[in-house]
Amino acid sequence: MNSLMIDKKPLLKVTELKQHFTLKREVVFQAKQVVKAVDGISFELFPGETLSIVGESGCGKSTTGRSILRLDEPTGGDVLFKDESLTKMSKKELRRVRGDIQVIFQDPYASLNPRRTIRQMLDEAMAIQKVLPPNEREARMLELMKHVGLRPEYLERYPHEFSGGQRQRIGIARALAVNPEIIICDEAVSALDVSIRAQILNLLKKLQKDLNLTFLFISHDLSVVRHISDRVMVMYLGKIVEIADKSSLFNNPLHPYTKALLSAIPVTDQTKREDRIILKGDVPSPLNPPVGCRFNTRCPFATDLCRKEEPKLRELESNHSVACHYAEELSS
Amino acid sequence: MSNDVVLEVKNLKTHFISSKGIAKAVDGVDFVLRKGETLGIVGESGCGKSMTSLSILRLIPSPPGKIVDGEVLLNGKNLVTMPNAELRKIRGNRISMIFQEPMTSLNPVIPVGEQIAEALRLHQGLSKKAAWAKSVEMIGLVGIPSPEKRAKQEPFQLSGGMRQRVMIAMALACTPEVLIADEPTTALDVTIQAQILEIMKDLQRKIGMGIIFITHDLGVVAEMCDQVAVMYAGQIVEHQNTAELFKNPLHPYTQGLIGSLPKLYEDQDELQIIEGTVPSPYDYPEGCRFAERCPFARSICSEKQPDLIQYDEESKVRCWKYTNEWQVSLTKELVTT
Amino acid sequence: MIFFILKRLMQIVPVILGVTLVVFLIMQMVPGDSAVILAGEGASKETVEELREDLGLNKPLHEQYFSYIGNIFQGDLGHSLKNNQPVLEEIMIRLPITMELAFFSILITVVLGLIAGIISAVKPYSFSDIGVMLVALLGISLPSFWLGLLLMYIFSIKLQWLPVAGWDSMAHIVLPAITLGAGGAAIVARMTRSSMLEVVGQDYIRTARAKGLKEHVIIYKHALRNALIPVITVVGLQFGGLLGGTVLVESVFAINGLGRMIVDSIRTRDIPMVQGGVLVASLVFVFVNLLVDTLYRVFNKRIDLN
Repeated sequence: MNSLMIDKKPLLKVTELKQHFTLKREVVFQAKQVVKAVDGISFELFPGETLSIVGESGCGKSTTGRSILRLDEPTGGDVLFKDESLTKMSKKELRRVRGDIQVIFQDPYASLNPRRTIRQMLDEAMAIQKVLPPNEREARMLELMKHVGLRPEYLERYPHEFSGGQRQRIGIARALAVNPEIIICDEAVSALDVSIRAQILNLLKKLQKDLNLTFLFISHDLSVVRHISDRVMVMYLGKIVEIADKSSLFNNPLHPYTKALLSAIPVTDQTKREDRIILKGDVPSPLNPPVGCRFNTRCPFATDLCRKEEPKLRELESNHSVACHYAEELSS
Repeated sequence: MSNDVVLEVKNLKTHFISSKGIAKAVDGVDFVLRKGETLGIVGESGCGKSMTSLSILRLIPSPPGKIVDGEVLLNGKNLVTMPNAELRKIRGNRISMIFQEPMTSLNPVIPVGEQIAEALRLHQGLSKKAAWAKSVEMIGLVGIPSPEKRAKQEPFQLSGGMRQRVMIAMALACTPEVLIADEPTTALDVTIQAQILEIMKDLQRKIGMGIIFITHDLGVVAEMCDQVAVMYAGQIVEHQNTAELFKNPLHPYTQGLIGSLPKLYEDQDELQIIEGTVPSPYDYPEGCRFAERCPFARSICSEKQPDLIQYDEESKVRCWKYTNEWQVSLTKELVTT
Repeated sequence: MIFFILKRLMQIVPVILGVTLVVFLIMQMVPGDSAVILAGEGASKETVEELREDLGLNKPLHEQYFSYIGNIFQGDLGHSLKNNQPVLEEIMIRLPITMELAFFSILITVVLGLIAGIISAVKPYSFSDIGVMLVALLGISLPSFWLGLLLMYIFSIKLQWLPVAGWDSMAHIVLPAITLGAGGAAIVARMTRSSMLEVVGQDYIRTARAKGLKEHVIIYKHALRNALIPVITVVGLQFGGLLGGTVLVESVFAINGLGRMIVDSIRTRDIPMVQGGVLVASLVFVFVNLLVDTLYRVFNKRIDLN
């Protein structure tokens, strides 16, 4: 996979993406307050791979997903989908591309219309994107239901008649209905119980293989990320701190934040547990992020340099980039 | 050994009675908690673990909830039948609780210091000043910087992690014998979760309380607990010491649960799954409640409900596989085929 | 907070403009000519025309309006057409009476409403709850003039405990204040009840129970303060209705207040008095709303963050 990737063209190329939210001012003279939810991130997504974005709440991982699709208009940077700029597209062109890039959200129930049967929902999705003429949709719907492991008679039911796991399957079926190339999974399995989560994860993996899908998988759960990803990108306060192949990232994390994050995960096998690094304090507010390296307030190794100068994301090993001034020293 | 027992729960049944019928949320739960020990109660949503924890201090919403049977013994005294006034002297004093949602579990309009101090005035008869001083001390003890300043703040001025620390400070202010922690870290980020778990372990060493730790996260169980009770459909299906549970899970449900976790240190192509879904608490099947999803189920499993039997000295399991009847039914099936 | 109050004060200017414009236009549209009414029956055409000229009623509408606005900002609300007294003076005599009535009515609304609401909420679906809520339903449904007459009949005429009408002593205040405050009290009671029931289901109430607090401490210390937040808004809104209600109640109990002044002035087409009265009433309403919103922020500091 990794060797193949190099000579493949990226399907999605994100450059210097920024998403700043300006808070409403109480009074005219108040200083402008800007939340830098995503602050200049660049990465590529290659066909057929699963790239995960991990991080804690407020790191900007979900905002990144939304900005790519312009669900929130990005305030800077560019997103290329097959060499076409999504940020410069008209609304009409964007609607067409949204058929190629689908999203699955955490709460499938909130994103399903309670008054529509599954059949109506799938039919509508196909009609909007004009993927199939009406007479061929029936067969396609049955095929979709089979893909996601739901019985064909469920087509006539309403969302409230399903359990959480089944609803997520419906969400997946609807995303697949328009033959997308990329699926953005935004915390898609986070609300599910472990046994159901395993079913959905297996399903996603199988679908990726069968349908040659590309996943951008957004999650806070590192063990899930490890299971599903080819490459992993770690975010902290709107910045990418590390991006690498899965095995490289999990076996040899370079950024002190990634190390702390990995060591903080409770594991069932206590013999495999590494020494825990407990970070001090809370994640600072993205409203006034720390100057220099954004992690410097919690980093056990921070120096004056870290408090002054923002480290750039640089490739330290092949397919393994990190944004830390002292990555070399810390890894040896 | 039994001298150490602080809390004993016997055949606890909490049912919810509504127009839809009777939901048997907790349906015959037994366990003991020893001094200084942490007992984990794990299970998936709807298994009754939270309702078990709320039933101990009779905090279930009533109506529609009702404890219909069983005993909860704190050093031999039954909390289920105790008059309210007497129970109130135990709540927050000898048994205290922390909850899942640090965001909503603190009163939004009362300074956090006061929320801690009121329990101290109530249970320990401290003066206003002494209670406040102790409250500030507790806030410092759970690792919140500048406790004097924080004590005067209202919850919205604190982060989620700090609020959960305040909850812990509140729960431990009167040095309880039992702390019930209901998913205390589920709403928190992993790095904050690590901080909170560390604080809890640390304070347990200092205070020596027994902890009942309710969670759905098996990793957290492995970190925190000495003993684990696995709940499924209102009942405990397995009870073992933690290391043994992960090494040698007995109940097919526990096996499935552990198998369905993605491993952090090895690659897997496919995760093990448990087929099907949990039965409705309004209408449990007659036999074993897991039989429908169990890969080992035989005819006896859907006919009769198994008891929670002693597997060895330290382990209990609710499964026909570990009984003589299983062997009998096996031979019977062999004979008929 | 100061910024918030300043911002709200600045909003008063457009309110003044809007209110005067609307009142001005309505008074132009109502049938009846002030000059004719003022001149009295059987007055000659010349007298009426002369009067019209004197009062400036023959000028084009917009000119009348702009000169009126200009005067307002100099503190001059004009003179009554009837007795040529300055409008402001006339209002200042009556405003304190109406404010007093409003104050006691609001007091009844809040105190009675809160007590009833809490009684209901503490034991929902009990007999006391159902009883209180039935009375509250009556309170909302009964028109205030009818309630006023009823109270007057029972307490003043039959029992002779309280004076029938007028405004001289505390005893005079009781019936009008109850009449005016009853409807509000009923609404506050219902609001308090539902707000309390919602708060009692919150997680922090469970925390308070888990702490071992007594039920009354939980209700008064932990639940009520949170439940009051939406109630404050309702009380503020009630105040607006109250000002309208004074018109009726002052008429029923023959109280010489602002409301009755406005009604009388409408009848005689005394336009400056009507405009002045309505303007002052609106200003009072705006200030009370500002007070309510400020209180709301004090009670609920979290909204300062957003």
